[in-house]
Amino acid sequence: MIIQTENLKKEYVVGTQTVRALRGIDLSVEKGEFMAIMGPSGSGKTTLMNIIGCLDTPTCGSYELNGTPVSDLEDDELANIRNKEIGFVFQSFNLLAKNTTLDNVMLPLKYAGFNKKEAIIKAKEVIEKVGLIDRLEHTPAELSGGQQQRVAIARALVNNPSIIFADEPTGNLDSKTGEEVMGLFKELNSNGQTIILITHEDSIAQQSNRVITIMDGLIKSDNRD
Amino acid sequence: MLIEESLRSAVSSIKTNGVRSFLTTLAIIIGTAAVIAVIGIGSSASKALEEDIDELGPRTLSIFPSQRKRGGISSGFNPLVIKDAEALAKNTEHNWLIAPAMSGSRQVKYENNNISGEINGYLPVNFKVRGFDLGHGRLFTEKENLGRKKVVVLGSKVPGELKKSVKQLLGQNILIAGTSYEVVGILKEEGSTGWQNPDDDLYVPLLTASQRIFGTDRLGWINVGIASDTNVDYVMMTIEEILRQKHDIGPGGENDFRINDWSQYSDLRRQATGIFTALIAGIAGISLIVGGIGVMNIMLVSVTERTREIGLRKALGATHRSIMMQFIVEAILLCILGGLVGVFIGTSLLYLFASFNDWPFAMPISAIFGSITFSALVGLFFGIWPARRAAQLDPAVSLRYE
Repeated sequence: MIIQTENLKKEYVVGTQTVRALRGIDLSVEKGEFMAIMGPSGSGKTTLMNIIGCLDTPTCGSYELNGTPVSDLEDDELANIRNKEIGFVFQSFNLLAKNTTLDNVMLPLKYAGFNKKEAIIKAKEVIEKVGLIDRLEHTPAELSGGQQQRVAIARALVNNPSIIFADEPTGNLDSKTGEEVMGLFKELNSNGQTIILITHEDSIAQQSNRVITIMDGLIKSDNRD
Repeated sequence: MLIEESLRSAVSSIKTNGVRSFLTTLAIIIGTAAVIAVIGIGSSASKALEEDIDELGPRTLSIFPSQRKRGGISSGFNPLVIKDAEALAKNTEHNWLIAPAMSGSRQVKYENNNISGEINGYLPVNFKVRGFDLGHGRLFTEKENLGRKKVVVLGSKVPGELKKSVKQLLGQNILIAGTSYEVVGILKEEGSTGWQNPDDDLYVPLLTASQRIFGTDRLGWINVGIASDTNVDYVMMTIEEILRQKHDIGPGGENDFRINDWSQYSDLRRQATGIFTALIAGIAGISLIVGGIGVMNIMLVSVTERTREIGLRKALGATHRSIMMQFIVEAILLCILGGLVGVFIGTSLLYLFASFNDWPFAMPISAIFGSITFSALVGLFFGIWPARRAAQLDPAVSLRYE
């Protein structure tokens, strides 16, 4: 079991109101799963991703990642887990504009403390995997949207994470490029990579093996193929 | 590799906002330039002063007559006389040059022009002790002194005051207190010493002055030229010994003369220059701190602008420390760049100033390293707060910051 949560709750105080974004989520994800989280905006799916992506901590409830309880770790311990165990792919790619493909992909390795030589070898490996080895020295502005997203996927993969979180990864891409990116995810999944997709598009969600629908901070449905 | 990443990010950020970075560091640039220029000018000035003193060659002591006190009551003036100077000259222990002099104001006339001139009775050796150089003609000789000859050497500005050129005066006779003197030489311009201007004076042989002009053997002062490596205290003791014996002062009696060591004044001047330099440099240093506040301000802006980037870096595993380092490195780099530009400008200013004043170019390396280190510290100090703000950003929130 990679992810195991029990009664996960998250509450925000906005002004005088308390917003209950998550109201008790029990979720387990096994290694090798390709799961999609769906839900309308405001349903709590982003909050759920933040918490299981270790970007945020729950108000209460427990969360074990790879058997390690992470719900009440310190900031720097969470940073370390994000670095080693989790790869993020975002809707707007979030590449550093002044950096080349190689430097963008190397960034997590720098925070992991690899030396430069090792880092370059590892980065080139994953860049090859996403098919951009001939774009090593290009900056994001010199790449198409699909290529930029593939650089971001390479960056997510570079530290061999347990899970890849992809937050609306095709949201900024045309449908053909989107299909290519989804194809890449499926290929990675077929090699055993656990992937969690956050999306509001049914057609994207249906390409995964398991679809969870979140509504008002609770899991409304959990369908496996 | 993290430092390299911080540096890369800092360089790229500074380059992206070139104009803003320049304006931000302007106060640092001006501050460093001012500190460097002032310290450099101070040290060049004192080096120039030292060279001046070295140029004087032998060091000069001056002996002046003074009031003798007996039981606290002044008992009149016991003058220095020519015989005192002769007694000093007889001593050969120190290889000193004894230059007695007397002076007074007399009417000087040539054709229809009348001036009141300061007449100095000199020995030929006096010119050497004072370091006066001859411009035209010749100095008078020891023989002319012994012969009480009526010859005169003019300060460089005297011909002008008599409304004549050097050529028109050299070899001519001028009237001093109604008596005719031959102009044998004219000095080069010496410049004012602050309390007298040798260029305005006239110089006649001491014995001529004593007998023909002033009618007295009382001296105004005796200059003693000594080599610069001489033990001054020992020389002073010898002078005292000789003059006390000559003036018949018994044990316990007070001296009726005083000895000045002129180099003490230049030490004082140097000290004063040093204090002044430190003061100005300190004030200029304050502008470095003001510059630091500017850097802090722009770093806060930079943190806000890059909220998303900070969120991303945190999502990728950047710890509190690595984010702090990134922004502190940027602040330090900004200040060091400002410091370097400031050093360049300050050094150029000093170079211009020194060549304009004909001073040696002396820039202490320690001032350069010191001011750059200080700028770096300013960057560190004023970078900490913005960097902390960056490091404390919530990754989940800042990732979605628009």
